[in-house]
Amino acid sequence: MSFEFMEAFKFIQKKTIIHSLDPRTKLLLATIYSILAIMFEEIFILFFIFLSFFPFIIAGQLFKKWIKSIRGMTFLFLLLIIFNTLFSTFSKSISMILRIMIMVSSFSLFFLTVHPDDLMLSLLSLKVPYNIAFSFSLSFRFVPTIAIEAQNIIDAQKSRGYEMEQGGLISQAKNLIPLLIPLIVCSMKRAFHIAESLDSRAFGSTKNRTYYYSISFTKKDWLLTVILIAFFIFGIIVKLFPDLLPNWLFWRFPV
Amino acid sequence: MEKKLENLQILVNHLTYHYPDGTIALKGINLNIYSGEIVGIMGKNGAGKSTLIKTFNGLLKPTTGVVYIENDDVNNVLMSKLTRIVGIVFQNPDLQLFANTVEDEIRFSLKNLNFTKTELENQINLTLEKFKLKKFQNRTPFTLSGGEKKRLAIASIMCRNPKIIVFDEPTIGQDAEGVEFIRNLIKEKHSEGKTIIIVTHDIEFAIDNIPRTILMADGLIIADGPTNKILSQDQILNIGSLISPQLIQLSKFLIDSGFKVPDNAYLKENMIQFLGSFLKEKMEITEGGKP
Repeated sequence: MSFEFMEAFKFIQKKTIIHSLDPRTKLLLATIYSILAIMFEEIFILFFIFLSFFPFIIAGQLFKKWIKSIRGMTFLFLLLIIFNTLFSTFSKSISMILRIMIMVSSFSLFFLTVHPDDLMLSLLSLKVPYNIAFSFSLSFRFVPTIAIEAQNIIDAQKSRGYEMEQGGLISQAKNLIPLLIPLIVCSMKRAFHIAESLDSRAFGSTKNRTYYYSISFTKKDWLLTVILIAFFIFGIIVKLFPDLLPNWLFWRFPV
Repeated sequence: MEKKLENLQILVNHLTYHYPDGTIALKGINLNIYSGEIVGIMGKNGAGKSTLIKTFNGLLKPTTGVVYIENDDVNNVLMSKLTRIVGIVFQNPDLQLFANTVEDEIRFSLKNLNFTKTELENQINLTLEKFKLKKFQNRTPFTLSGGEKKRLAIASIMCRNPKIIVFDEPTIGQDAEGVEFIRNLIKEKHSEGKTIIIVTHDIEFAIDNIPRTILMADGLIIADGPTNKILSQDQILNIGSLISPQLIQLSKFLIDSGFKVPDNAYLKENMIQFLGSFLKEKMEITEGGKP
């Protein structure tokens, strides 16, 4: 079992224009791309939306990580193709895959380039209460830790003869118990330790907290925001008046 | 047992290991471990100790080089066979305890060993008795104390009767009683002819219980030899970020001050004997044993 897929959402410090953007801009980017992906189901339009996302991946030097995350979803894509072709059309399955690729890419760009601390600050600037924002950023910070722990649990159980058995759904689910229970127990223990450690540092004792770092909109952020909103409005107009677009954009597979 | 070729149990040749994320954990390890030896593996965090032991039972496959366990290349042996020969006791018992009762926890370890039902129950009972867990038999493992959990984790490996036993940091977080238990267990398994490998940072434990030490640094073995020799050479200690055990420091100090200290004074009994007889000679003892 591999947790490579998790890597696609783990922040890495780099100095690129994407990393230096304000987290709120990147959140807007991810949201607008996801909404656009849901709005359309034409293969060519989705494909062009997907292509237009490429510059961001390249500017952020995220190509390798991005490929990993897409590769991690191959199995899901196969399922989508099989089920959609059986119960719907082949075209539908392709547009579903493109949709998911756009959404995963845009959110993995967000989590790969936003420092967990900045993530919290951007939530705070959206008027989310500090307690909730802090727990949210904390939970993201612990994703890789838990992935490592899961690997250690697999190692420990394999060392005493545990085997990943093949078989029916029920026996496979039963087979997960030796992995899941230690994982839950260890996570709960860690949660209590964190709570104690927070309490011992007087977390939440005063209402007005001092923030060491701050986030701010720069010219780059404003520029990208304007472009994104324009892009979004364009998308809505096109959706409302499909006659504006050439016919070949609406091409589908015959099956 | 002697270090003869037919007693060679683990042979590691030019072993390297690269993690999928690109970290190079092992950079060319050569190592022979003979049947019945007690071997310590020491070194800084990140030196590659854990990676090395995980290649012994097939958890990690060598990137290049070979690891032979009992004349079988680990690349060609099923993991289920390897884990019967090599039992690794991991540091944190919480990573493996999951069953409803202590008894079930042992039963899980014996599941794939082709025991008949009576053999299985016998083995469970024997293990519970031996590890003083009989009274907890029907309790859930999660309510046990730290030391008891550790005992259960060790029991769940020992019941499989491996020929090679690997302990990963056995003494960490254990009270005196727990350390004493592990010390006795190692002695007992050694007398049964098992090969024992101990990854540890505990130098005082090592000098008392481990005759041979391998010191690792940065993915390589930088020293391999008698523990007392390795833990008394300043140059090696510096590279491995280790401090000499107290008795080695004391005997060095005494030697530097011109006393004739026996070579084996790094062991407590020998040092007590030496100092005792020395002091008796030099000092008058008054009535009641007080000078």
